[in-house]
Amino acid sequence: MKKTKYFLTLLAATTIVSAGIGKAWAYFTTYTEASGGYRIDLGDRTEITEEFEDWTKHVEISCEEGSEPVYIRARAFCAEYPLEYVSPTRKWIEHPTSPDGYWYYTDILNGGDTTNVLDIKINDVPKKENPNPEDNPEIGDRFNVIVIYESIPVKYKPDGTAYRPWDPEVSWDEKLVVEETTGPVKPETPENPDVTEGGNN
Amino acid sequence: MKRSKKHLSPAVIMVLFAVAIAMLLGGSISGTRAALTYYSETYTSRIHLFDIGVTLLENDEPVSWRNYATEGSELWEAGSNVEGSEVGRLLGDMLKDEAGTEQPLKLGVKYPEVLEVQNTGTINQYVRVSIYKYWVRGDEDTKSRSAEDQPKEDLLHELDPDMIDLHLITDQGWLLDRDATTDERTVLYYSRCLDSEKITEPFADTLTIDEKIATKVSESRDTVNGVTTITTTYLYDGAEFRIDVEVDAVQEHNAQDAIWSAWGRHVIVDEASRTLSLVY
Repeated sequence: MKKTKYFLTLLAATTIVSAGIGKAWAYFTTYTEASGGYRIDLGDRTEITEEFEDWTKHVEISCEEGSEPVYIRARAFCAEYPLEYVSPTRKWIEHPTSPDGYWYYTDILNGGDTTNVLDIKINDVPKKENPNPEDNPEIGDRFNVIVIYESIPVKYKPDGTAYRPWDPEVSWDEKLVVEETTGPVKPETPENPDVTEGGNN
Repeated sequence: MKRSKKHLSPAVIMVLFAVAIAMLLGGSISGTRAALTYYSETYTSRIHLFDIGVTLLENDEPVSWRNYATEGSELWEAGSNVEGSEVGRLLGDMLKDEAGTEQPLKLGVKYPEVLEVQNTGTINQYVRVSIYKYWVRGDEDTKSRSAEDQPKEDLLHELDPDMIDLHLITDQGWLLDRDATTDERTVLYYSRCLDSEKITEPFADTLTIDEKIATKVSESRDTVNGVTTITTTYLYDGAEFRIDVEVDAVQEHNAQDAIWSAWGRHVIVDEASRTLSLVY
C-alpha cells in the first residue's frame, strides 16, 4: 500500500515534469491554407431557322441558353441555279483573305443569342411567262437548296480577347480526342457535339 | 551539588523587547530613507515577443493567415477572406470584370494569379508552400472544401491536373522539392530567410485552364435493333478545377533541426548567408 502511494506520487511528478519538457523541445511553427476553383461547362446547342419566300432563304441560327460562346459559319448548295448571299446588317462576311464558300458570322454567339439574318437568293429560276416555253417549269419539277452551318467554341488569346472566326489560330477542322475513362462527369447529359451541322431545303 | 538556576527578570525582558521593536522600526525607516534619497535613471526597454505568423497573399491581398498573438485573449489569431473560416478563398475575383460582374471562364486565357507569402509574425522564419491541383465533380456546395474534406467520390482522378496551368516561378528564390512533387502536388521551399513583415518573391503569377480540355471526349455506343448510336460527351464538362495552397512556416533559430522535426525534410541552412538548400 505504501509502495503504491509512492509510485503514484512519482508518476504524477514525472507527468508534470515531462509536460514541461515537451514545451521546451517544441519549435515555433505555423501554417495557413486557402482553396478555390470554378466549374467548367462545355458544349453548345445551336439550331437553324429558315424562312423561304420570293426565291430567297432567310437563315438565322440561335444558340441555346447555357451554351458556351461559339463561332458560326454557313453556306448553301444548289446544283441547278446560282446562289447569292446578302447580309443586310453586314454581320455575315466571306473569308476576308481566302474565300472558301462559307460565310462567317463576325460576332461571337453567346448562349441565348441569335444571329442576324443571312439571305440566300436563288437566282435565274425560270418563270411561267418565260419567252421560251421549253424552259417553263412544270408541275412536279423540283430542285434542292441545302444550307449547312457549323459552330465551334470561341478561342481566346492569352490576354482574354477572342480571335476572329477566320483567324488561322481558329481550327474549324479540329478533331476530338476520345479518351478512355470510367465515365462522363455528367452521365445524364445526352450529347454535346463539338461541331454541329444542320440544314434543310 | 546544587545547580543554580538563573532567570531573566521581567524588567530585562521588557527592555529587550523594546529594543527589538525599535530595531525593526529603525530598519524600515532606513529603507524608506534610501528610497527617498535615490532616484534611478529612467530606463526604456523593449519587450521582444517571440510570435510566429504567416499570411498567404493573392494579387497583393491577404487571403488567409495564422499568427501567434501573446497579447490577445486567444493564443492563435487565424482568419481568412471568408468570414468565420480559417481556410481562405482563392480565385474569388478571377472572373470579375472591371464593373465587378462575374464573366464566364475562358479557356486558354492567362488570368492574373500572383501568390506570395508574408511573414506576419515578430520572428524571422523559413517558409514552404504546398500546391494541390485536381478536379472534382462540379457542385456549388464543394467550393470551400479543402482536399482533405473533399468526399472521395467527388474527386475525379481520371482528369488531368496538368490542364490546370498555375504558372510557377522557381527561379526567384523558390526551390522545387522534386521528391515531394507529384502530378497533383507541388512543394516549393523559399530559399531565403523571411524576415518579420517581409514578403517573398511570387511563387506563381498566372492561371490558365488549358483549352485542350474542350477537345477531350468520351464515347459510348448503344445498339438497338441493329442501329448503333454513338454519344460523344466532353470529359471535363461539369467538372470543377480546384487549387489548394498550404503555407508552412518555421522559426529561423535552429531552422535546420526545426524543419527536420516539424516537416520531416532534410535541408541545409547556411546561418551566415541565411539561405536554405534541399538535400537529395
